[in-house]
Amino acid sequence: MNHADNSDAPIIQLENLAVTFQTPRGAFRAVRSASLEIARGEVVGLVGESGCGKSTVAFAMMDYLPGTANVEGAVRFEGMDISQFTDAELRELRGNRIAMVYQDPITSLNPSMRVGPQIEEVLKHHLDMDSEAAQRRAVELFESVGLADPERIGRRYPHQLSGGMQQRVVIAMALACDPHLLIMDEPTTGLDVTTEATILDLIVELKDRVNAGILFVSHNLGVIARVADRVAVMYAGEIVEEAPVHDLFNNPSHPYTAGLLSCVPQPPGDDGIERQLRSIPGSVFDAQMEQTNSCLFAPRCPLAREECSTSTPPLEGVADGHVARCFYHDEVSDGIWGDLLERVVKPAPAETTPALYAEDLRKFYGGGRRKYILFGPPVRPPVRALVDVDMRVDGGRTLGIVGESGSGKSTAARAIVGLEARDSGDLQLRGQALEGDVEDRTTDQRSAMRMIFQNPTASLNPKLPIKHAINRALRKFAGVRRGELRERSEELMNSVGLDPQYLDRLPSELSGGQQQRVALASAFAANPDIVVADEAVSALDVSVQAQVLNLLEQRQRETGNAYVFITHDLGVVRYVSDDILVLYAGHVAEYGPSEAVLSSPSHPYTEALLSAAPVPDPDAEPTHIRLEGSVPTLRSAFRGCFFAGRCPRKLGDICDTEPPPEQRGPGGDGHMINCHIPVEELEKLQRNGVAPSRAGA
Amino acid sequence: MAVRDSALNTGQQQAPALFRAGQTVRDGLSLILRTNTGRIGFAIVAVHLALALAGPWIAPYPPTDYHLDARFSGPSSEYWLGTDEFGRDVLSRVLAGARSIIWISVIGTIFGVTLGTVVGVTSGYLGGKIDQFIMRIVDWFLAIPSLLLTILVINMASQRFSNIDHSWIIIFVIGISFMPNNSRVIRSAALAIKPLEFVQSARLRGEPTLYIMFREVLPNVFPVVAVEATIRLSFALLLTAGLGFLGLGVKPPEPDWGLMVSENADHLGTVPWAALAPGLAMASLVVGINLLADGIRQAQNLPETGE
Repeated sequence: MNHADNSDAPIIQLENLAVTFQTPRGAFRAVRSASLEIARGEVVGLVGESGCGKSTVAFAMMDYLPGTANVEGAVRFEGMDISQFTDAELRELRGNRIAMVYQDPITSLNPSMRVGPQIEEVLKHHLDMDSEAAQRRAVELFESVGLADPERIGRRYPHQLSGGMQQRVVIAMALACDPHLLIMDEPTTGLDVTTEATILDLIVELKDRVNAGILFVSHNLGVIARVADRVAVMYAGEIVEEAPVHDLFNNPSHPYTAGLLSCVPQPPGDDGIERQLRSIPGSVFDAQMEQTNSCLFAPRCPLAREECSTSTPPLEGVADGHVARCFYHDEVSDGIWGDLLERVVKPAPAETTPALYAEDLRKFYGGGRRKYILFGPPVRPPVRALVDVDMRVDGGRTLGIVGESGSGKSTAARAIVGLEARDSGDLQLRGQALEGDVEDRTTDQRSAMRMIFQNPTASLNPKLPIKHAINRALRKFAGVRRGELRERSEELMNSVGLDPQYLDRLPSELSGGQQQRVALASAFAANPDIVVADEAVSALDVSVQAQVLNLLEQRQRETGNAYVFITHDLGVVRYVSDDILVLYAGHVAEYGPSEAVLSSPSHPYTEALLSAAPVPDPDAEPTHIRLEGSVPTLRSAFRGCFFAGRCPRKLGDICDTEPPPEQRGPGGDGHMINCHIPVEELEKLQRNGVAPSRAGA
Repeated sequence: MAVRDSALNTGQQQAPALFRAGQTVRDGLSLILRTNTGRIGFAIVAVHLALALAGPWIAPYPPTDYHLDARFSGPSSEYWLGTDEFGRDVLSRVLAGARSIIWISVIGTIFGVTLGTVVGVTSGYLGGKIDQFIMRIVDWFLAIPSLLLTILVINMASQRFSNIDHSWIIIFVIGISFMPNNSRVIRSAALAIKPLEFVQSARLRGEPTLYIMFREVLPNVFPVVAVEATIRLSFALLLTAGLGFLGLGVKPPEPDWGLMVSENADHLGTVPWAALAPGLAMASLVVGINLLADGIRQAQNLPETGE
């Protein structure tokens, strides 16, 4: 292969790329029309909801598609049409010229091989290095991706590394052959926000250092805003808008882009007034199979007119380097998705019994195993999943629980609803004590407390029509008789905005958002007092997420039910919560009214979480506080502060030897911060933006 | 999944039962016929079933009729596959023998797989100490070789009940000896379903444990049950034929493939077809069923979108 190193030519160039998959159900048009160029040293973000064809575009760049795919249009790598490449040339292209980083690092690494030899193998194979040179290079590569102590890390197996370290190893491996193009397909989606922030820092730094083009695929506008120079927005297989990152975020010219931006929960503006979240109706699910002569976005678009359903809009230039596929791109503005309504402020809770009250909730896992099976000392101390957690949720209000994975959020949810019996602690529903196991609770109690799960697909039985879950809940809790089931279930479906004829469908025939609405309908079947939502919107696309959040809020206004809302997304938790509980390794770091928790002074952990959260604004100043590593598994043999191991503001020995005191925060009665640093001191540090010195991993 | 409307999914307010049964058959067939393997297997098994059903009408002679003037005769226009040492028509006997072996194997398999499914789902869903207890009993069953168990049971049963039909004993033994392996497979499938959210939502609704096990979990392990049952069926055929060969199956002079092979094995040199024909019939049926099982398995591994 003759690589004319022509630095003017873009590294990769897509021209009207279209990819059609032949499936037993007919042709599936994954990509309809994508034209894109990536130059050296440039990061191009590719954004869109799931099912829009982003990954297919990425794979088409390497001609790495299954045999059922039919590719039209041209893909040119450094000016050469890759459809003309021989198999050997393609292998060379994929191995040495284009490198890929996938979403889940653990599946990209060989679990039975130490990571050092894995990367050395790449070097030996592709670059013909000898063992010694490969070893030296591997260490350099590990260093270049910010892995401290690279030699020691090289001797570890993938499972011995944290998710963030694994992803760094994968990136190092991708950089091993000095690729000309680096494709990153949702590289931070599976990681915690804190880890995500450190990986994004690395990518931002890499783009200045390596002389490669980077295609960054993501569904998250905040992440895109942080890393990309130029952004292409995809909808239903088409690139609908492409622009430099500042133009795109400040002046979106396609209704879909504008919609995506207005679906992201934003902090209150300068006037301190919180706005109501807007959403895009419908879902991309409906536009996938059609092959019509119209704008694909028209069914969901507020600007759609006659013309939009009779002819296909071309990509038109809006400004320099800014194109949009819309007839009315001049009219696109922030306002098209509905006026920015001020959110209805909830009345203060009346002095009544709380909907849910928990005190000293405690749950330890394991530790039951003894040395001699039934006798003898315990083999090892139990994992402290939840330690003395207090909470109170009043009717009509929402408690948000946040933390990284492993912080005990889900354990808290499961202990509350009774899927796992708590070890000790008080739990009351409307003043009534609750048993640990859901099986031991009364039907009334079960009916008053319902749960919504993260994965909408798994929360409905795939073999049964969706009416099953709704009907069972209606019969169990609302005492609806067989003859009235149909009527009542249709009412419920209407109340969550679903067509009642879906009742007889199987879950697989519905989109993720629709499935989650069914789960909501089933949870709301008997007007519960409290609904525990465990990451209920995390698996949904932003536009659908906004629909579901609005639905939940509307429901709360109408019936006055309370929510316990568990999420890792701080934007969402800020939007929905009245109170926030920040958990770390099973301990309460901070608890209080949501404004007080999310503004300074706050617990160093809350501060770190806030600092890590990506903001969908390319002009946002990068924040400084970063947490390395992941939440430790705490067993009983520890003293001091639960957060001491990762705290960026650690004071010193006192943090390792004494448990932190419970300090009253400035947010009034209910606000407390568990930290050794005095509240006034915290406030001073955080207001002045004093970045703490890195305390190391 | 095409077996979505399994016969077990008859909930309230469903479409009329007849329509749903038709749907089940259609879905099942489309699943089997989706792959070449499944198609070939289906063709072989269908030919066998058709011949077994039509046997009494198309067989040239009654299977137990002696033609003493034509003992040990080779294939001819009169006796297509020749005759055995008593002058019985081999073709007629092979056709008639299909019925008993298929019937015994099918009923025995259904019995064993049903038992295994109940044990497996129960053990897998309940988990913990109950699971440990059930699985240790299953291990104990596994330790007994099935042929040994059969011989033991048949001997005991024949001593106690003098006129018992051996078919029922064989069905019982097939069931008992298939249960352990089957329950292990189904248990692991149930274990994979148990942590899913829809099972937890059923718990949160306060559904009784039996309801969750058999209405929520069972339909989802059903595809595994289908493959398992098909594979087991071929084992059942081999076991039944093996017992016939050892003289523990159907009593002579009733036609039985295993028995025919053993009766005629001594005369392989003179009339090879008398022993080979039932053996080949047996082999082709087992191959057909195994292909069918592979076909079902392959079809289910295909992702829904076909990508």
